[in-house]
Amino acid sequence: MADPKRDGIGGPDVLRRAGDASVLILTSLADGSKHGYALIQDIKGFAGLQLGPGTLYGALDRLERMGLIEALPAEDRRQPYRITAAGAVALRAHLDSIERVTSVGRLRLGLGEI
Amino acid sequence: MPGSRSMRQVESALRCYPRRWRGRHGDEAAEIASLLIRGGTPARSVAWSYLMGAARTRLVTGPRRRLGAAVGALLLAAGSLGVSLALLSSPAPANAANVTHSRTAHPRPADLRPAGPRHEIGRGAPDRCVRHDDC
Repeated sequence: MADPKRDGIGGPDVLRRAGDASVLILTSLADGSKHGYALIQDIKGFAGLQLGPGTLYGALDRLERMGLIEALPAEDRRQPYRITAAGAVALRAHLDSIERVTSVGRLRLGLGEI
Repeated sequence: MPGSRSMRQVESALRCYPRRWRGRHGDEAAEIASLLIRGGTPARSVAWSYLMGAARTRLVTGPRRRLGAAVGALLLAAGSLGVSLALLSSPAPANAANVTHSRTAHPRPADLRPAGPRHEIGRGAPDRCVRHDDC
């Protein structure tokens, strides 16, 4: 049974326990396919943190097993990945969930809504 | 190209991954390491990240592996507990005295109590140790 407190309005938040690296990777892939090093660089650019390569591959394998990303044919030694439709839905649900928490947090800190 | 010593560290860490993983990601992982090190990331940090990743990969690569890891951990814990109990119930007077503190207000948890008729704690056991008349 769906739990509205746990699940986002747009569907269950399957990324809730997937870890920050998974969310960062999906966010990075949301605007197009990328390979490992490009992902690290992109995430460093928009989130200001550098994913360790071991963490990156762990999260990529997990996301692929969950069907949220898929591997594209390898280019030379590089393996590009793209977000799947299920991945886009999951990312959206997770961002909705974060947004609600952010709004409540800002209100309670007296910062008002964004 | 990063120094051969740096890459040796990374290659050693990459060898800790399962063969199947190395077959799929190994070349790219080595290339990423090389690019990161060239960009200023310490080789040790890259190698450590791969080492931790390899440990996680080996622990969580499927239900059978997870079950195996869980059984292994339980056996290890059981083995450690067995060693502890063996030490507790060893014939050394100090340890024996420790074990016979059976009628205290706060008894030890049941799983730490040594089993067997010689040390029946809190169930009408004799106050002195039957193995050592001088206890």
